[in-house]
Amino acid sequence: MGLFEAIGIAGSGLTAERVRMDVTAENLANADTTKAAGGLPYQRQEVELKQAGEEGFSSALSGAIKQAESGPPAGGVEVTGVVSDATPDQQVYDPGSPEADAQGYVKMPNISTVTEMTDLISESQSYQSDVTAMQTAKSMFTATLGVLK
Amino acid sequence: MDLVDSTQQLLETAMRGSWQRQTALTSNIANADTPGYKRQEVNFESELQSAMSGGEPLDQVQFATEVQPEEAGPNGTSVSVDEESAKLAENGLDYQALAQVLSARNSIVSAAIGVTP
Repeated sequence: MGLFEAIGIAGSGLTAERVRMDVTAENLANADTTKAAGGLPYQRQEVELKQAGEEGFSSALSGAIKQAESGPPAGGVEVTGVVSDATPDQQVYDPGSPEADAQGYVKMPNISTVTEMTDLISESQSYQSDVTAMQTAKSMFTATLGVLK
Repeated sequence: MDLVDSTQQLLETAMRGSWQRQTALTSNIANADTPGYKRQEVNFESELQSAMSGGEPLDQVQFATEVQPEEAGPNGTSVSVDEESAKLAENGLDYQALAQVLSARNSIVSAAIGVTP
């Protein structure tokens, strides 16, 4: 049990929430992007999270080997990847648009601004909870140091 | 009476348990959005009590971090951030109280043996 483990775990939470906020910002910025990679409409991105250092022999072994390397401590959270949301594109009827097909429909990204905004609120609240956990750990350290006085 | 009596040891062991609980609660908060995560708990008070009544040496007591088999909520985890934050605040204050009592006892011993703290 490391003395600074709790701060590391809260730190991994901060990193994960920040990545989620970055991705949400990207989604919001590209809510109307009709030409992304391959000339297709932008696809909503989502962050995959995983508990760091999950039980199991191989992960325990690689965790022990990797201990010196940087990475979230066991019990923390890690971002395993950013994946595309497979929801189909929205079809918007706008015959005046230069992007419109023969029937007058424009393919728009599969993004709902409301979903992104609510995600953003929950991410910022989770971030604050992690900060609070870190502050509590700090005041506990201070109390420990106070025993020495 | 020994200089380090059983109350002193009890305080130290309780601080260790409280620290372990702090780590578990921080994990719960960090994984509040991780799908499939199950919350962890350290119930050190009952383990400490059984160790005391069983006469075990307190400095060798190990506390277990238990994974709670609770149903996942709508967000895919069994963690409620509000509940965890409340427990975290409570545990932090508990720890500080223990540290202060330990500190007070230390200064009493210091005064008795003539060391100005």
